[in-house]
Amino acid sequence: MQIPIVRNVLEANEKKAEDVRRLLSGHKILTLNLISSPGAGKTSLLERTLRDLSGEFQMAVIEGDLQTDNDARRVAATGAQAVQINTDGGCHLDSNMVLKALENLHLRCLDILFIENVGNLVCPVEFDCGEDAKVALLSVTEGDDKPEKYPLLFNLAKVMVLNKIDLLPYVDFDMSRARAFAVKLNRQLNIFELSCRSGEGLEQWYGWLREMRMAKKRLQE
Amino acid sequence: MHEMAVAQSLLDMVEEEIARQGCRRLDVAYVEYGALSGIVPESLQFCFEVMIRGTSHEGARLEMLCLPMRLRCSSCGNVFGGEGQEALWQACPGCGEQFGHAVVLGKELILSRLQIR
Repeated sequence: MQIPIVRNVLEANEKKAEDVRRLLSGHKILTLNLISSPGAGKTSLLERTLRDLSGEFQMAVIEGDLQTDNDARRVAATGAQAVQINTDGGCHLDSNMVLKALENLHLRCLDILFIENVGNLVCPVEFDCGEDAKVALLSVTEGDDKPEKYPLLFNLAKVMVLNKIDLLPYVDFDMSRARAFAVKLNRQLNIFELSCRSGEGLEQWYGWLREMRMAKKRLQE
Repeated sequence: MHEMAVAQSLLDMVEEEIARQGCRRLDVAYVEYGALSGIVPESLQFCFEVMIRGTSHEGARLEMLCLPMRLRCSSCGNVFGGEGQEALWQACPGCGEQFGHAVVLGKELILSRLQIR
């Protein structure tokens, strides 16, 4: 027999993502999902951010990697709470993994939670992890056509970080091209050009974090 | 890789519906997907086949249908259609606006019908 159904295939993930969102919003925790290709500098951006803002915010990181806890150890060295998720070959984090990881974090007093997704510009975009915003990270040693090649990420993200700008004199990255296509996909996109190595441009990124954190706090009051 | 996770969700859902109807076997599952859903149909087919091998559903088929895309112009609100990811770049046929169209339809991934017995 034939039966009509109409069910969202990812509904199980999206339901759990709502659980995550409710839990974290209850604690007024700003939650950001960092998505980039491998090597764009997600962990470096977190290391800088956690160090530079340690006096202002209580922050934690959920690290997603196929293997090893190298990144969690790098992040924990800054003094922040860190939980490692090993996906054992899985290409993305999902809301169930995040919900489980939250059991290992002290949520009380936490201001900002970063979810560092598996390095991949495709799959992580499909799976809502319960975040407030997706942050797309791109580095100038990659192609400037990434926004054209992976439009969904840049369409959904609230922020695009362009990292490694200290290397601009040595590479052929066309900043205006990358920016133009990203904005074409998403008029509200906040774009920050920075270098985690030299520290240039980080202040604008921190300014956005402060704003978002304030907005999250106010929303719940 | 992520088609494996999608195939698993799909199979869980199929099992649930089959049990609800008091049936035992899947013949065909009809899936509709948007051009922006990130799904590679051949890959999902393959993952699904592998997953049902050796189960009571072995040999069942997936019928995949790509849904047309709809965009809402960020400037005049006109809703217009397109095909594939490139449609995100196209200018609004109403006012010519090129920037920031909202995706109204295109990200869906829906189990729409089952043939079971």
